Amino acid sequence: MTPRSVIGSFVRAFGVVVGVVGCAAVAAAMLVALGLPAQGRADDGPPSEPTLIPEPRPSTLVVALDLRDPVRQAGVVKGRDVILARGLEVDIAREIAQRVGVPKVRFVYVRPAARLLAAKAPSWHLGIASIRATPSAAAAADLSDPYLDTDQAVVLRRGLSRLANLGELRVLRSCALRGSDGSRALATVVSPAVNPLLPSSAERLFQLVQTGVCDAVLVDAGDVGRFLAGRGGLLGPVNARVPYGNGYALSVTRGGPIAAAEVGVALRRMRADGTMHRLARKWLQIDPARLRVLR
Amino acid sequence: MQTAASNHVSVKCRAFLVVTACALALPGAAGAGLQVWFSADGTPVPVVRNGTTLRAAVEQLIAGPTAAERSRRIRSAVPPGTSLRSLTIERRVVTVDLGARFAAGRDEAALQARVGQLVRTVRSVPGVLSVRILVEGGVPIGLFPGYDLRRPIVTPAERVFSTPTTRDLQQRLVDLGFLAESGLTGIADFQTSTAVLGFQKWANLTRDGALGPTTVAALIRATRPEPALRGPGRRIEVQLRRQVALLIQDNKVIRTVHISSGAGGKTPRGSFRVYRKERYSWSVPFKVWLPWASYFTGGVAFHEFGSVPTYAASHGCVRVNHYDAPMLFGFAESGTRVDVFDEAALA
Repeated sequence: MTPRSVIGSFVRAFGVVVGVVGCAAVAAAMLVALGLPAQGRADDGPPSEPTLIPEPRPSTLVVALDLRDPVRQAGVVKGRDVILARGLEVDIAREIAQRVGVPKVRFVYVRPAARLLAAKAPSWHLGIASIRATPSAAAAADLSDPYLDTDQAVVLRRGLSRLANLGELRVLRSCALRGSDGSRALATVVSPAVNPLLPSSAERLFQLVQTGVCDAVLVDAGDVGRFLAGRGGLLGPVNARVPYGNGYALSVTRGGPIAAAEVGVALRRMRADGTMHRLARKWLQIDPARLRVLR
Repeated sequence: MQTAASNHVSVKCRAFLVVTACALALPGAAGAGLQVWFSADGTPVPVVRNGTTLRAAVEQLIAGPTAAERSRRIRSAVPPGTSLRSLTIERRVVTVDLGARFAAGRDEAALQARVGQLVRTVRSVPGVLSVRILVEGGVPIGLFPGYDLRRPIVTPAERVFSTPTTRDLQQRLVDLGFLAESGLTGIADFQTSTAVLGFQKWANLTRDGALGPTTVAALIRATRPEPALRGPGRRIEVQLRRQVALLIQDNKVIRTVHISSGAGGKTPRGSFRVYRKERYSWSVPFKVWLPWASYFTGGVAFHEFGSVPTYAASHGCVRVNHYDAPMLFGFAESGTRVDVFDEAALA
């Protein structure tokens, strides 16, 4: 055995020892940090919930997208990352990152969107993908306050003047896309007195209100700008909106560096200082939040 | 040993390069030049360009139409200055990797059209089965409406403007209230022609009853007729200048009917009520049966008549065409208000 190989063996052995001791020390430190009892004690009563200490603030906020819609979020998937990301929800995520003090945003692609809620140990901090703030979604993940309403905008045919209340909408021939939130809102919120029409294509829905077969159509308030685009003069006013659902929320990774409450504060500030209105006008043409609520 | 392995890799690399080079030089239609697809008035159009390779076709597409082509209203939705990063072919599937500019802009129609142009151009090269589109080396998702670019594209997805069918136009006439549902036959028959006359009168078009280009264009942009007067419940407006009757319920026009009123202003103007209804009414002065007669003042009635020309031609009654007369008779219950006026004078 040469002197060099002896030294080499010694260094390797020392490395293994240091590694084992180091790992043990790190594990012990983690246990202490997490507040886990080192050994069970019978007189402690029921075990308390482990206190999760938030991770230190990252330099990059990782945001999961599902890229479903050119207006809300779209981009180019390269590996797992999304480059050239754009859309309303992309801009909202960037604004939130700035407001919670994280300078950089990295977008990752996650599909299907259900994974945003179901993932056990997600590798992202926030998920934004038109997640409806339903009780089941809230049970699966921490949800922020809604950033966009799921209310239904009421578009009238030409020749009708603005409606004052839901009662006036009830007596009109209303229409919505079959199987849409609009059709559900008709059934649960409007309860029309005249049988509604439920066409199966958006094009036919438009024709029905253009030709006056339908007096009013219900369209997702977030999509009403697109519904009207390039069709000036063929339809009447966007009257108001019918309240429906709890809105769209971000999913916030539990125990991650950003808390849902922080995102909520950022969203409230964005709403208060007009940022949300500006983004809605940029991407949706019409800010749904500015439409009058029909009651 | 190491040398042998690297030689093997080198041979494989060379073979790959040779295959790729051959593929990129895939010839266009022999001697016919390349087809590059642009659009004119929203319709895809091919132009023939010099060149023989697939790469040349894509480069010509990116370069856009020439000045002469632009003067012929030929346009491209591909943004000028888009870079072609790479172009490869494997098993007849062409992969085109473009720069970020290809995805620039928010006009959904333009984004959709540029993918269509690229797919048509590449697919027009013989032997190409489908096209995989990458942007900056990645897969664009959601950027190009109507396309799922996670898979190679075989057929362009954008809607190409096509002439509506007769049935489409009949449906539009039904929706607007000019034609009864029974008129949805798919055949441009006399009932359709009668409904078209009603529409042409309403829209102030030439009254020929034919679905010509001007009438079709007007139909596509048309909205439901609006009553000239306001008033509750069921009523009828006879608009003498247009020669139409509007059947109105709670200020919504239910149907618009092609009529012919009294020649030389013989139909009295004013506000009346339907006071007598007869399934067959014998006209004493003219000695003729008048089917579906609804009298609203003196001896003046709405009734069916064989000849309903595009102008005022009757002795004072309001002639209604064969298809609409029974419906109007049912609508005009006793007591229904009838307003007869010259809408131009009203304005």
